[in-house]
Amino acid sequence: MLICSVDSSAAPASVCLLEDDKLVAEYYLNTGFTHSQTLMAMLESVLKISGKSAEDIDLYAVNSGPGSFTGVRIGVSAVKGMAYAQDKPCVEVSTLESMAYNFLGSHAVICACMDARRRQVYHGLFRVDGNTVERLCDDKAIAVDELLSSLPKNEEIILVGDGAELVYQNTEIPTVKLAPPNLRYQRASSVALAAVGSYNKGEVTSPAALMPRYLRLSQAERERNAKIKQEQDGAL
Amino acid sequence: MRVTTSCARETERLGEKLAAVLRGKEMIALFGDLGAGKTAFTRGLCSGLGITDGVCSPTFAIVNAYQGKFPVYHFDMYRITDLDDLFATGFYDYIGNGVIIIEWSENIESELEPDCIRIRIKKTNNENERIFEIRGMDEYADLFG
Repeated sequence: MLICSVDSSAAPASVCLLEDDKLVAEYYLNTGFTHSQTLMAMLESVLKISGKSAEDIDLYAVNSGPGSFTGVRIGVSAVKGMAYAQDKPCVEVSTLESMAYNFLGSHAVICACMDARRRQVYHGLFRVDGNTVERLCDDKAIAVDELLSSLPKNEEIILVGDGAELVYQNTEIPTVKLAPPNLRYQRASSVALAAVGSYNKGEVTSPAALMPRYLRLSQAERERNAKIKQEQDGAL
Repeated sequence: MRVTTSCARETERLGEKLAAVLRGKEMIALFGDLGAGKTAFTRGLCSGLGITDGVCSPTFAIVNAYQGKFPVYHFDMYRITDLDDLFATGFYDYIGNGVIIIEWSENIESELEPDCIRIRIKKTNNENERIFEIRGMDEYADLFG
C-alpha cells in the first residue's frame, strides 16, 4: 500500500511517500515560502523522482489541525483535491499526534506544543512505547502556565513543536526536556506512520468529508479578551 | 502624540511620513468613523512604501495584500463581529509577516498586539480637518512636529 502524506500546518511543509514499511521519499522545506507555492511542487517532485504517479497512491494522510488557519487549509485542500480525483480514502491526522510519531521506537512521554500566540499553545500529551503511541489527553488550546502545572512530575517529558521552546523557557522542572531540532517539528513521514495506525483501525474518511480541525481558543482566553476590550473601550 | 491635518492630501502625507520609519512587521490599528480618513491615511502609508495602485478599503474582501518595500496587509474589520469571524480571515497568520494596517480596529480590539501602533482619527468642526491621536510611536514625535 502506497501512502502519500502531507503536512503544511505551520511554518515548515513536507510531503512523503510510504510504501508498506518502506519510506520511499520525503521532501521537507522550512523556508518561510508560501505553502501554496511549494506544496504541489514538492508532491510533483517526489512522485516523479520515485517513478510513481498519482494513480499509484492508495491512501492519503494529512495533518488536518491544529495549526495555522491558512496552512491547514492548504494541506487539507491539496489532499482533498488529489484524493477526490482518484477516489481514494484519506486519513486525518492530528498535527500534535503526528509529532509524537517522530519518537517511534523510543520510550518517552511527548508533550506536543504549537504556538497559539498570547502565551497559549495547542497541546497534546502522548506516551511512546516502542512501536505504539498512546494518547494521554485530548488536543486542546491551553495557557503555558496551566500546561506546565498539569504535566506529570515524576517522569521525563520531551517537548516538541513550534511552541516547545516557549514552554521550555518558562519552566525549571528538571524532567522537562527540549527535543533536538531534527525531531522537534511536524513532518510528513510521521504523518504517514500515524496514518497507518488509523487506517488499520478503519479510521478513514472520504475526500469529501476531509475537513480542517481547528482548535478554538479556550473559554478562559475568550473571557480575558472580553475583559480587555471592556477596559480599553473609550481609552483608545 | 497629536497631529492635525487640514485636508485629505495632508492626511495622506502623514501616512507617508509614518511609512518612512516602519521596519516591516508593525501592526497599525486605525480607529475612527466613516469618512474619518482611514483609507486616505492608508493610501499615503502605502504610497510611502512604494505602493501606488489599488489601495482601497477591503470592506468585502476583508484583506488586501500589497507588495512594496514590505508586504502590506490592509484589513477592514467593519464586518468582523466576533473572534470566529476573525479567525476565519486568517488574520493571525499575517502577524509578523509584514506591515498590518487595520481599519475598524474597534471591532477586534482585544486581538491587537500589545506593541501595536494605535491611531484614533477625529473629525473637528472644520469639514476637512482631522485630529490624529497616535500611540506607540513616541520615539518619532519630532518627525510629526
